[in-house]
Amino acid sequence: MDSHQPSLPHRTWKLGQRAAQAALVILLCAGGFLSLFPQGRALTRGALLLPALLSASEFAPLATAGDPVRFQRLTLFPNTARTVYLDIYEPATPPPPIPGGREAIIDVPGAGDNRSVPQLVNLSKSLASEGIVDVNVGTPALFDYRVAVQEGEAVVQAFELMEHWPGVNPQHIGIITFSVGALSAYVAAADPRIRDSVTFLGILGGYTDVTSLLRVVATRTQDVNGQTQHWEPIATTAYVLYRSVSSLFSPADQKLLQKAFPLTVSLPPPLPTAQVAQLSPVGAAYYHLLEGDQPGNVNRNLAALSPALKAQFNQLSPLSIISQVRAPIHLLHDRNDSAVPYTQALEMAAALARLHHPYDLAAYSIFSHVQVQSGLSLEQELGDGTRLLEALTSILLVGS
Amino acid sequence: MLILSLLWVVLGLLIGALANAAKLRPAAWVRGGRLAMLGLGVLAALLGGWLGTWVLGALFATATALWIAVLGVALLPRLIMLGAHFLHTHQASEPLKKP
Repeated sequence: MDSHQPSLPHRTWKLGQRAAQAALVILLCAGGFLSLFPQGRALTRGALLLPALLSASEFAPLATAGDPVRFQRLTLFPNTARTVYLDIYEPATPPPPIPGGREAIIDVPGAGDNRSVPQLVNLSKSLASEGIVDVNVGTPALFDYRVAVQEGEAVVQAFELMEHWPGVNPQHIGIITFSVGALSAYVAAADPRIRDSVTFLGILGGYTDVTSLLRVVATRTQDVNGQTQHWEPIATTAYVLYRSVSSLFSPADQKLLQKAFPLTVSLPPPLPTAQVAQLSPVGAAYYHLLEGDQPGNVNRNLAALSPALKAQFNQLSPLSIISQVRAPIHLLHDRNDSAVPYTQALEMAAALARLHHPYDLAAYSIFSHVQVQSGLSLEQELGDGTRLLEALTSILLVGS
Repeated sequence: MLILSLLWVVLGLLIGALANAAKLRPAAWVRGGRLAMLGLGVLAALLGGWLGTWVLGALFATATALWIAVLGVALLPRLIMLGAHFLHTHQASEPLKKP
């Protein structure tokens, strides 16, 4: 036996020493990266935000390490046609010297008054805990489930308010939006007053083009990468599609269409034939498109719509203004979204690719339209969680 | 802040223990040297955490505490030894300079 060979306990001890040294180097690099580099800080923020989003509840480490949150509700232009409701969640502490000014995020929730929806409140509070000023924008029209181009002005107002908000870096303001709030966000991001200042646009479950959306609703099918899939809309989709253009119908049509597409959990039974016969030709065409009872006549029904309606569809389509948007766009969409079909995101991605506009598209299976489902499997959390972390890190990098 | 400070104390102890295992402790520190390394780890982690809170915000304070604690246990013992050596030689040579 070689007497110079180190004994086993000595070799083990040496190995332990090397392992400890390696561990210290890893800790040094990890700590340095996560605190000194903007990418690292964005990753830290994303990693702390992700569990809060997936669990739809406050994440204890974020509550411990994060800033205390201050909330205030502002109303701009009260009692006018352009009233804007702002729910502002912000850190209660002054911004730290590095990176200086805070990031601000303008949230445009979808149709309805979502200000007290627990997942939205949780998102806003979590962002504020992370040192971000989060503003939820609401308007009477969106509260009333109506989509209108004019609502973009509310987002511009919120954006300009944040540009002068104490502690906010005016170069670090982005917009995220959900569902049909997409139009307001795109309109604001295309507005010459702020379009060069918007740092990003995040769209979760947004729509792209009203006509193509109507086609999917009318045929109850969507074409995903060459494969035709059955798609059944929720009642809210038909309700919003009707409400947003209801003023273009006669009072008699309005009465019947309102009855056919109410704000309910599930779609009611179709109107009796006698009542459908009472609709004007334009009203009947729109009824069949929303009802989905004439999937073979979609082109004919679309052609039967009035020029005013077609013009309104074009106005209400983010696709018509996308070329004027400067900010990079993050598209997030659930593949099984039953409020806005996934193909809407694919259509926007294709349009952005044609324009060579910076964008990314992430498809998920953890959302129920724009809310995280409960009872996710570990596989879903790991798979979609990683993709969501990437998107969050990009969004949070701005102010990190 | 108290909970975070406690977390940094634990972090400092762990890093001090790792430094002991990594043999970063000066050979001259025979008596109480291991405890001193743990203490240095805690001290550096606490300083790092508080500095991180002030400069970057509480969210990044723990990561700051981490790398400052590692740097602390790696560099502070050497700095202390250098300081002690300097003081020792300075004090030893001083009487010779007197007339």
